[in-house]
Amino acid sequence: MDQLTNTLRGDGIALSFGGIKVLKGLDVEFRAGEITGLIGPNGAGKTSLFNCLTGAYRPQHGSITYAGTSLDGLPPAARASKGIVRSFQHVALCPDLSVRENVMIGVARNYSAGWASAFLPLSAGRKERQDMATAADRVLADLGLADSADLMPSELPPGTQRLVEIARAIVGKPSVLLLDEPAAGLNNSETRDLMKVLRKLASTDLVLVVVEHDMDLVMSICDRIYVLNFGEFVAVGTPEEVRGNEDVVRIYLGSDDDE
Amino acid sequence: MTQRLQDIAASSIASWIPVAILAALPFIVGGSWTFTLGLCFANSIGVLAVSFLVRYGGEVSIGHTFFTALGAYAVGVLDTRFGLSLWASVPLALVLGVSLGIAFAWPSRNLHGIYLAVTTLALALAVPEMINNLDWITGGYEGLYVSTPLVPGVEMGLQRYYLGLAMLVAVAAAVARFRLSRQGMTLLLAKTHPAAADAFGTRRVWARIAVMGISGGIGALCGATLAFSGSTVSPGGFTFWQAIFLLVGSVVSFYGLSLFRVLIGGAFVTLVPQLLSASGAWIPVFYGLSLLGMILLGHYLPRIQKTLARRKGGA
Repeated sequence: MDQLTNTLRGDGIALSFGGIKVLKGLDVEFRAGEITGLIGPNGAGKTSLFNCLTGAYRPQHGSITYAGTSLDGLPPAARASKGIVRSFQHVALCPDLSVRENVMIGVARNYSAGWASAFLPLSAGRKERQDMATAADRVLADLGLADSADLMPSELPPGTQRLVEIARAIVGKPSVLLLDEPAAGLNNSETRDLMKVLRKLASTDLVLVVVEHDMDLVMSICDRIYVLNFGEFVAVGTPEEVRGNEDVVRIYLGSDDDE
Repeated sequence: MTQRLQDIAASSIASWIPVAILAALPFIVGGSWTFTLGLCFANSIGVLAVSFLVRYGGEVSIGHTFFTALGAYAVGVLDTRFGLSLWASVPLALVLGVSLGIAFAWPSRNLHGIYLAVTTLALALAVPEMINNLDWITGGYEGLYVSTPLVPGVEMGLQRYYLGLAMLVAVAAAVARFRLSRQGMTLLLAKTHPAAADAFGTRRVWARIAVMGISGGIGALCGATLAFSGSTVSPGGFTFWQAIFLLVGSVVSFYGLSLFRVLIGGAFVTLVPQLLSASGAWIPVFYGLSLLGMILLGHYLPRIQKTLARRKGGA
């Protein structure tokens, strides 16, 4: 598939709350086949940009397109139906559902058994649930969580809960995957497993964007990095280019002068 | 996985034991108890309707008599005016309950908590007056008498009892199945994390409307069962206080959706007032004490059980 065809673009995205400009006319291009990092200090606007891309926020200016089709005005659920999914900075699993069921929700949009199947013992509903459970179990096994499938989220440590959320995001084979701090709360071993999973996920069919504070993770898996500060991009480039950018070193990574 | 399946099997067996006991009761107890238990089953469905709204929508209703009245008058009107039995009136009740649940949910879709509760209160207050003003079809204060048998040739007392039991079991089973469905899971996510549900394709507005529609439909089934098991339909059965009692039943059952839990709620709503009927002016006091006792018992029972289990283990 043409890499540029499956591109998530934002042109001149501007967002304000009251008089505070959170995003100042950003131009972004997230390409399929790449892992793109979005980094910046707390409050830089990373999650706000995710919220604009997924439809949770409506930017006052600018437009967003995916594969050449405008997403402007589409609510989050409609964007999800186009395969644009995300994970959350704060884990958003349902405490009333088991781990497997939480992951099954990630694939629910691909099924359509009717309301009668929801209430009555009909074969369509049984098959749907079985298929969803099989898909969830496969992804949980890939992430090393097969043994946790029947547990409730509250029985898992925070790092594992985050992995479950990632499982929910990837189980539906999304076309755009926006991960908001996926490594937060993970230990070193879990972070390494996550990096393997993300590398495995990267394909020409998937736009993969990662907001993350773990610089080792970002620098080692990302093909391209956007650096955001006070709602503006201060640098865009490969990890090597970003690492060598003086503004980034000064603003984000800190410099000798600041010490 | 095996342990979970065993738990589900044990839970399923535990649900069927009370059903078997209740199925045998008409052959053991007298006619008045059979009648009262029929009402208890109907009220249990009403408790289930309110608890469904709490569990899946995170909201409280103090106006569910609006939906029970819809179901009851669907049965009463079709029976007395057209001679049609429950085979026709129950589907109509369900359609009316779901449709008006949705019609209510749409304008109130952005209301939450106390604001939504007070809005449902408006429904409860309006119901008796609406029934009285539509007396050409509802029979006004005099009400309607439901006499068309569901199964011709079978004694009506038994029909009134077993229909109530069958409806309760069917509705509780349907709701238990719903919990495992795609729609059920997404509604639960929409309740706890609306933004996450949105991000995975479930619009929060849709979730709110769906929950109210289903709850209204269950409420209407409660009313249909009340009409048939209680044999009469009149405005006195759908007052504001009846709506409050359904909420009380839901609280007493700790918003449980299982057959056993809703039976506790339904029994509290139906049986406690009857048991206290000889207490004269003290009825409200004793009712309040019973309510307090049930809440405290439900709250402390798990701890008491844990303590007893620990002592048993230590002995």
